[in-house]
Amino acid sequence: MARLSIEDVSVDFGGIHALQDVTFEFESGAIVGLIGPNGAGKSTLLNCVSGITRPTQGRVRLDDKVLSALPPASVAGCGIGRVFQHPELVVDLSVRENLLIACHRSLGYGLVSELLKLPNMWRAERDAARRVDQMLDRLGLSDSAELAIRNLPYGHRKLVDLGRALLMDVRFLLLDEPIAGLNDAEVAKLRELLLRLRDELGIGILVVEHNMPFVSRLCDRLVVLDLGRLIANGLPADVLRDPTVMASYLGEDA
Amino acid sequence: MSAAADIERAQRQALPFGTGPILLGVCVAAACAAPFVLNGYGLYVLNLTGVFALVALGLNLLTGYAGQISLCHAAFFGVGAYATAILTQTAGVPYLLSLLVGGLLTACVGAVVAVPAMRLKSLYLAIATLGFGVVLQKIIFEWRSLTNGGGGLALSPPVIGGYELRATGLYYLTLAVVTLGVWGAWNVSRGRTGRALLIIKESEIAAGALGIPAARYKVIAFAISAFYAAVAGGLFAYLVRYIHPENFSVGLSIAFLSMVVIGGLGTIGGSIVGAAFYVIVPELLRGIKDAPGLVFGLLLVIVMVLMPKGLWGLARRIGRRA
Repeated sequence: MARLSIEDVSVDFGGIHALQDVTFEFESGAIVGLIGPNGAGKSTLLNCVSGITRPTQGRVRLDDKVLSALPPASVAGCGIGRVFQHPELVVDLSVRENLLIACHRSLGYGLVSELLKLPNMWRAERDAARRVDQMLDRLGLSDSAELAIRNLPYGHRKLVDLGRALLMDVRFLLLDEPIAGLNDAEVAKLRELLLRLRDELGIGILVVEHNMPFVSRLCDRLVVLDLGRLIANGLPADVLRDPTVMASYLGEDA
Repeated sequence: MSAAADIERAQRQALPFGTGPILLGVCVAAACAAPFVLNGYGLYVLNLTGVFALVALGLNLLTGYAGQISLCHAAFFGVGAYATAILTQTAGVPYLLSLLVGGLLTACVGAVVAVPAMRLKSLYLAIATLGFGVVLQKIIFEWRSLTNGGGGLALSPPVIGGYELRATGLYYLTLAVVTLGVWGAWNVSRGRTGRALLIIKESEIAAGALGIPAARYKVIAFAISAFYAAVAGGLFAYLVRYIHPENFSVGLSIAFLSMVVIGGLGTIGGSIVGAAFYVIVPELLRGIKDAPGLVFGLLLVIVMVLMPKGLWGLARRIGRRA
């Protein structure tokens, strides 16, 4: 079992404290919701974990390995998958080709093999194609495999983006507002899919989401940020009843 | 629109099976037969098209796939031309080997040029590469002991295996190299590097999240691209048999970039069609007194306005309808 630890992480942008001494950890096999009002520092925290933003203080660790000193590509290589709020796909390529992009690290062949199409290249490509087929099947996108992304509805694009992250054999998955822009049926399907991924692959999922019913039904635990500080961390039912949380976050909607 | 309609449309868009290979076969056969049909001048124009197509193939990997603008490809072309010429003529290295060594040497220069590309984007990168182009051209000019500076280098026909390459021999050599170049570019564009370059063009942050280091792949793209330009330069040197630093000015870099854009960014076919357009159309317009530049310029504008995906994009659209 792997453990992702966020230890005393602070991030300053100029004079603004985007995150202050945030500490929590979770294991693979758990789904943790990261919630808080706008500007609470949720996306900044995801960026810290995936190596896009360097913490001003503190560190992020995967088991014994310190991630916060690594560039984003190396963090991804350690098994930290990131799915952005808006899927950044190559719209002229097909669903299958977009998924193949994520097989980059597992396709170990070099440039010379690639230029000359040596046997090790096509063998590796064939294996990757097989893995992509399995992923298409898992996501229920087999029928759309050859479609260009530009002809794909938004909900399906988000699935392709998720599939890309999963193809990197992630141990932890960071999701930024996964249901924004999805309809009710798609939301229900995504919830089922995430639960199945956790159970079948044993991955840990950290999800930033505003939709409370979705979060409380999906997550094993909730972490609440407000103005860059961690104000609550516990079971969804307890956290949502916490007076501090209600004042800072839910109070807004009441 | 429903998914079913999308799928149906996608299927309609696919070319009928076998069209591609047949077209390719016809083109290759025509190219092989050209020396028997064309006069010396026509063969020279076709050879020059092949040389420029090779540059465009490499530049398209960099600009069309990775989204990096380069205005120093004429300088890579020049470094390749001089390196090949000096290795062959002065050092006595066999011509084919000097082509390869010149290409590898220039690939290293290309990797150095890529260093600012890791930090710069779009227009800023264009200006930085413009600067590099000027510097490289100046080095060729000033390094008189090696390059004979402004006096230029006159070259005698190259020899391969005891056989002296004249116009027809050079043409077949260019054809062989371009064929290899197309094959290599095709493989790279459909392999892990091509896909990595495409996602870097889309978003470097997304690339990083997929474990693809953007900086390293930009260097690789510059190096491959410079390699193509340099090998083309080595062929060019012996096609014209006299090279001068002025041959490799920024104007030529802009011409290379135009070929790629006119032909079609991010396509292999576009690189070749773009080079052909750029070399052959002005030759066809030569008959119009005083006007070739004017007509050619207007044609460029028309192509860009009416065919945003370039000539190759248009050809593909027509192919699908047929």
